[in-house]
Amino acid sequence: MAKLKRSDWYDFTRDTNWTPKYVSEEELFPQQMCGMTDAMDDWNSYDEPYKQTYTDYVKVQREKDAGAYSVRAVLERSKMWDNAPAPWRSVLIQHYGAIPLAEYAACTAEAHMTRFSKAPGMRNMATFGCLDEMRHGQMQAYFGHEHVSKTRQADWGWKAYHTNEWASIASRHFFDDMMTTRSAVETAIGLTFAFETGFTNLQFLALAAEAGDAGDHTFASLISSVQTDEARHAQIGGPLIRHMVEAGETERAQKMLDIGLWRAWKLFGTLTGASMDYMAPVELRKHSFKEFMEEWIVGQFERQIIDVGLQKPWYWEHWMKDIGEWQHSVQIGLWFWRPTVWWDHAAGMGPAERDWLEEKYPGWNDKWGKVWDVIIRNVAAGEIEEKVMPKTLPMVCNMCQIPIASGNPGGEWSVKDYQLEQDGRLYHFCSEQCRWVFEQEPARYQGHLDLNDRFLAGEIQPPTLEGALQYMGLAPGEIGDDAERYEWIKKFTRQEKVA
Amino acid sequence: MGVDVSTYDELVNNNRVGPVLTGGPVARAVVEAVEIDNPDKEILIDDKGAYIRIECDGEMIIRQETISDVLGRDFEIQELEIYLGSFSGRIESHDDYVRFYFEKNV
Repeated sequence: MAKLKRSDWYDFTRDTNWTPKYVSEEELFPQQMCGMTDAMDDWNSYDEPYKQTYTDYVKVQREKDAGAYSVRAVLERSKMWDNAPAPWRSVLIQHYGAIPLAEYAACTAEAHMTRFSKAPGMRNMATFGCLDEMRHGQMQAYFGHEHVSKTRQADWGWKAYHTNEWASIASRHFFDDMMTTRSAVETAIGLTFAFETGFTNLQFLALAAEAGDAGDHTFASLISSVQTDEARHAQIGGPLIRHMVEAGETERAQKMLDIGLWRAWKLFGTLTGASMDYMAPVELRKHSFKEFMEEWIVGQFERQIIDVGLQKPWYWEHWMKDIGEWQHSVQIGLWFWRPTVWWDHAAGMGPAERDWLEEKYPGWNDKWGKVWDVIIRNVAAGEIEEKVMPKTLPMVCNMCQIPIASGNPGGEWSVKDYQLEQDGRLYHFCSEQCRWVFEQEPARYQGHLDLNDRFLAGEIQPPTLEGALQYMGLAPGEIGDDAERYEWIKKFTRQEKVA
Repeated sequence: MGVDVSTYDELVNNNRVGPVLTGGPVARAVVEAVEIDNPDKEILIDDKGAYIRIECDGEMIIRQETISDVLGRDFEIQELEIYLGSFSGRIESHDDYVRFYFEKNV
């Protein structure tokens, strides 16, 4: 018997809409959970562009798993971890803390879209998306767990999101905002379009390219395997936006996109940006973070935004400047406050590293280089404890929860704090954009206490750096240190002696 | 550094579409298949090691039959997903081919 083509039966099996008899439509799909207005009501016309059936899904996912797990099995004895440069090990520890549990949160978000999307096509794709995210959580938690025997910091793969460590707070604040606290419509735009069609490419493909160049093929195949799922389920948002544009809801879609993009940029400019420009081995580093941003976000993703009927975000010009700057400013903060993170942050300094930075970012020496000049002088003089260790907590932004470090140091000093008074309280932001996000819905954000608020409220005891580390859940052996235990300073002192 | 953001407008204003595949024999076969299935197009290949970006202007078709021929085995178009890390443009999946395209030409 001839087999039917998939297209002959796909729509029939997918179209699971029915008219509710026992409850009202509003009870079945509450507006707050769905975010779908009457204007957008022709949901059967939503047509997902990337079609998948359950049979194919299982078959394909099995192959993907077999691929990633067999690479891991083959390379298990390669001693990659032992032979990797210390800064690269820190990239892994950072990734495994920041990502696996966020994948479980994404699973919740996909489940939300599965339940509360009125379009059968969205529900279908989100069902697979939910299974995808479960796979990502399990796989990355498992691969990362391998390193627990090498360092206690690897335990943060499970621990990070359950602590009040500042980078965890920042990640949670972003993911909760995009994934678990909005309607199905807003989630589809903020998560599947802004974040997954755009930014995950950097953390899962561009970083895989860096991993491959650094010889870490287990990690490269793991994260690129994750991204093959994203490429599919991220296609929930695009057709939804077109649906909204046709229903006259362009403004709402654009606003959500602008919020999602900016928030994703702040978090991943920090995590991925510093990893790529400072932690990957310089001699093997082919592309800068900025170049990857140009490839993935500017050349690929922004073009897709235009195609679905939206515009570049209103802060486009500022953002394009920021992709050559933010990672350098925040790198200084990440390194200086190294005891407050769960990985050993690398300075990424040395004459060759500085040459690379100057080449990729002309003018680097005159700005961030000037700050590093002072740090290098102090480290070389052995005054680490006195002069290059934090005594206080970083001042963080009331939106992104990341240290306020926008603007440039050095020659063109432009570091600035953006303020807003709201209901009798002064809020501080790292940028006009973070302040703008807050202003869109103050009630959503204003109750959140940032790390300094908690400190001032007396929640952190004793009120010292030690007390703060304890509050953040950082135990001895987990508290971040310089990734190379300051060995990199010899690259400078040796050079001076030769000169 | 004086960043000329107008250069970024040029970078956005492209019509390049196509898959970004994780490496291996299938990716190499797709490179060959794309040349066959899109004879009038100039195909751009950007090999970053962990991924290969395959692009051309406006529209790209990749047929199951062509990949099977190049690989010398039966290949189902759904298998492409195993290697499809990302793509530029929009996607349309069909029974035996996949299409990447843009609706608007800039």
